[in-house]
Amino acid sequence: MDDTLRLDEVVEFAENPEPRCPCVLLLDTSGSMQGDPIEALNQGLLSLKDELVKNSLAARRVEVAIVTFDSNINVVQDFVTADQFNPPILTAQGLTTMGAGIHKALDIIQERKSQYRTNGIAYYRPWVFMITDGEPQGELENVVEQASQRLQGDEANKRVAFFTVGVENANMTRLNQIAVRTPLKLKGLNFIEMFVWLSTSMSAVSHSQVDEQVALPPIGWGTV
Amino acid sequence: MNISKQIAQWRIVAASVCGTSHLKNNQLCQDAHHWQVLSDNVLVAAAADGAGSASLGKVGAMIAVETAIENISTIGLTQKSLTDDVLVRSLLNDAILAAKKAVEDEAATCDKQPQDLATTLIVMLATPEVVAVMQIGDGLAVAKDSMGNLLALTIPDSGEYINETTFLTSPTALDTAQMKVWRTDIVNVGIITDGLQMLALNMVVGEPHKPFFFPLFEFVANAEDKTEAKEQLVKFLRSERITQRTDDDLTLIIAAFNNS
Repeated sequence: MDDTLRLDEVVEFAENPEPRCPCVLLLDTSGSMQGDPIEALNQGLLSLKDELVKNSLAARRVEVAIVTFDSNINVVQDFVTADQFNPPILTAQGLTTMGAGIHKALDIIQERKSQYRTNGIAYYRPWVFMITDGEPQGELENVVEQASQRLQGDEANKRVAFFTVGVENANMTRLNQIAVRTPLKLKGLNFIEMFVWLSTSMSAVSHSQVDEQVALPPIGWGTV
Repeated sequence: MNISKQIAQWRIVAASVCGTSHLKNNQLCQDAHHWQVLSDNVLVAAAADGAGSASLGKVGAMIAVETAIENISTIGLTQKSLTDDVLVRSLLNDAILAAKKAVEDEAATCDKQPQDLATTLIVMLATPEVVAVMQIGDGLAVAKDSMGNLLALTIPDSGEYINETTFLTSPTALDTAQMKVWRTDIVNVGIITDGLQMLALNMVVGEPHKPFFFPLFEFVANAEDKTEAKEQLVKFLRSERITQRTDDDLTLIIAAFNNS
């Protein structure tokens, strides 16, 4: 009966922006990352982009931002949906002002959420994915302490989910004190596998419905 | 001459269909709905969306809608008894409480926690003169008056994040419940679960989208054959235009009061 066709033809849909699934990559670009580590990290970022755009929904919903910390803090990439993301080529130099980096990551998440709300954009819980091969260095201890407290408060209030990945000689004990979730140790420089995992996880989250507990894929690239 | 066509009455078409994401994972449709027309043109309708994370969300949703409808339909309501707002509110509140208790009892019987049967719940009472809704969690209830105004009786109650909401079994369920009573010439009512929210609601202004609801209301007003109308609605909900936009379970209840 052609009434079916009619319903399909006459009902119009509201044009709403896609919900967003923000993820901040908080990356250590201090001097110790020079050479193979930073190159492997750059390769990893390319694979993150490649993987995300394979999933059409994730490509429109996952938003990536990149904050680097060395002697300075830089927002190398402000929030951008995966399909618009052009991975930068990072270089490594200087110290490890991790505390300031954490503050910056949490700042830009707060700003982004307020932009979402202003524009009626629904969103998922933001992720921060911090990658470091060291420990805080080159900044006042109380900056690190404040950043750690703020991060723990934000995690407790579900404002953010903060993941930490240690590379090579990272001080895992120290990282464990700073974050709430147990830091993972990257196997070698297996950044590509890690970013493929991150993409799969973010894609799963960006598809999730109300109150779906998203089961993250198993982690083959790291150890606790 | 078919006399029944001349009698003023509610026409209702409703369907729940499984989302494509649940089909992919061989999951059941977690949505449920139920409705009944009582004497004196009192319509009672309910829709529920069982939580994807709850192992028995589907069971919770089914028990919730059936209990709520049964609770109201056994009272012997007439339009006259719905002239008092306080009474209307307490009817809805009692129905929700009964549904909550039934879900909790079922959990106990199955040796499960109430949150294993977590579900949202929307319960609506409508006559040609008044519509009243109580809602826990997300989803949306609307009504159209004889002047063509479309009113959002409730708004989706999601938490800060799109994949969060309140459930009937949540400790805060009754504190966060929405309730609305609207007295006017009611021509149409509608209920959707959250799967259709992005299509039926303008998120920026928080208003129901008229071009979504009005053609559906016209469709139900002209639906002569109930079975056929339901088939058409199911086909529509499964159409590519919809599944391209949402992969969640979908429930739509639409009703028209034909006073001609």
